[in-house]
Amino acid sequence: MNAIHFFKPELLWLLPLTLLPLVSYGVKQFNYPGLEDWPKDLLSDWLRWGVRALAVLTLISLIIAAAAPFTEGGTVIRVGEGAEIVVVLDRSGSMSENLQANDQSVNAKPISKIEASRKVLLRFMEQRPADTFGVVAFNAAPISVAPLSADRELARAALKSAESNSSGFTALNRALAMGLDYFNGRPFTATRLVMLVSDGDAVIEPEDRVILKNLFRQYRAKLIWVYVHAGVEKNILSSVIAGDNEYIPQAELDQVEINQNVAMNRLFEDLDIPYQAFEVNSEAGLQQAVAEIERSTNKPTRYEYRLPRQDYAIYFYLLAMLLLGALFWLKQIEIRAWKP
Amino acid sequence: MPQQPLIHYHVRWRPSGHQPGASRGIVAGIGDQLRSVVLLRDHPDPRRLDLRASVRDPFANIWVRDFNLNSALKVIVLVDTSASMGYVGQVNRMHVAQEIASQLALSAYRSGDAFGLFAAGEAMNKQCMLPPKANRGAWLWVNHHFSKLKPQGQHANGLFAAVPYLPQRRCLVFLISDFRWQAGKLKQLLKKMAHHDVVPVMLQDPAEMDALPKSGIAILRDTETGAAQFVWMRESLKKQMQNLRAQHVRNVEEASRKYGNKPFVVKGEFSSALLTKYFMERSA
Repeated sequence: MNAIHFFKPELLWLLPLTLLPLVSYGVKQFNYPGLEDWPKDLLSDWLRWGVRALAVLTLISLIIAAAAPFTEGGTVIRVGEGAEIVVVLDRSGSMSENLQANDQSVNAKPISKIEASRKVLLRFMEQRPADTFGVVAFNAAPISVAPLSADRELARAALKSAESNSSGFTALNRALAMGLDYFNGRPFTATRLVMLVSDGDAVIEPEDRVILKNLFRQYRAKLIWVYVHAGVEKNILSSVIAGDNEYIPQAELDQVEINQNVAMNRLFEDLDIPYQAFEVNSEAGLQQAVAEIERSTNKPTRYEYRLPRQDYAIYFYLLAMLLLGALFWLKQIEIRAWKP
Repeated sequence: MPQQPLIHYHVRWRPSGHQPGASRGIVAGIGDQLRSVVLLRDHPDPRRLDLRASVRDPFANIWVRDFNLNSALKVIVLVDTSASMGYVGQVNRMHVAQEIASQLALSAYRSGDAFGLFAAGEAMNKQCMLPPKANRGAWLWVNHHFSKLKPQGQHANGLFAAVPYLPQRRCLVFLISDFRWQAGKLKQLLKKMAHHDVVPVMLQDPAEMDALPKSGIAILRDTETGAAQFVWMRESLKKQMQNLRAQHVRNVEEASRKYGNKPFVVKGEFSSALLTKYFMERSA
């Protein structure tokens, strides 16, 4: 059982005041000539002590209720299928570029990459109820938007609030470091994923690579790059996945080789960490990504669920009310004038 | 204070004073009771000539009648001023005592009797002391002094100290108290005053006896000792209480009877007519 704490323990100093009813009588007094032959009445004596005890108890329960006792709820470890996922969301200027729309109809409205990825991520979150989400948004500097917690509303709000804002430079390495930092101090109970949602366009300095590599090792986290794909950009996977149906000329491949995104992909692979990349520009891409993540996170998650603390003041207030009712009744039957 | 009729107290014994008054005395003087027939030589009052006795006397002496003096009584009031006398229930006990004393003072003056008053609580109150004498303004004196009297003290043993201040000869003593005394105290006092005609006037308040609350809780505080008693009034306790108070009255009656007295119980307000009735019953 948890120990009882008080919200305002200083109020307990008032407890000696509860002895006041033992000093005063609290009942109306009448003079009476000669009590020496008053009959010995046990019932009266009991009631006398009863009234005092009642008053003392009322005061005690009121003071304790005012001091607001509570016990810490503690934490409960729950087991669920899922992963701890830190979404590292790129909100650099390039993310505001419009995504290539599949249908070419007039009604189709172009949507920006960040909007699309937000939608995708929200849907992803819906499909993964057991996961723990944290959000880091970054452009020139990473912002810790929502810490890693079971609070789904927070992560959702964090995603919704992320808007693209161009400042030219993309601090990818620092964002990843911050995302990894979320795992700091948490027990390793579930698969750890850092889900980078970005359209690339960032470089990582060689010295930072070492740091990142060590961090990924340290936290045993896995990196997933959800590559938000605009039409004009090249498929990053073309360099990895061979044997596609389409024919890719060597010259174009060379061009892709020098493409920064591909370089980034390579870079992540070179980090020598568990790494996967997904290209998301459509519903199908999303399904694939979700399925893939499910496959990779089949390990059951044991996560700590913080119980709310238990408040006991209400019981003391109820007790005080009951006792006050009894005292009120006694006050009602008090003799106000000594006459029949 | 409403005007009350005078108290016609009447005693069956003969006062021995030489002061002319309303009671049949034992000294020779002008009265309505024939004492003896004496020679004119011894009692030279030709107005009381007894013709029958003079004619019948073969030696032709002249006889005159001698009468017992109708002499005055001495009425003494002893007032208990212990704290319990300050009880204010339905009536103010001290006011009742004052009323009795002043009515007695007035009646005593009207009958030509001497009136004296002594008050005592734990000790005798020397400030409130009136030696017995025919005193026209005695009732005013009573009212004046009683208004300044503060009942205090846990017992009324000062009354014993007041006894030596009483006249040596028999007189009518009214002992005004509620008799909430220790057991035996009343008997002791009555024994000390055995040669006087003592009328214990017992003050009672309906609030302490008949008019108790039916139910409820309260704290009773003894006016003398200050002891507190938590009471939960209910029918059984009320009955118990009334029985005890009735027992108290019986105790006082019993103690008085032993010395040939009968207490006069004043319930609530004092009525002088009731006291007159008491004397008529007593003399019968």
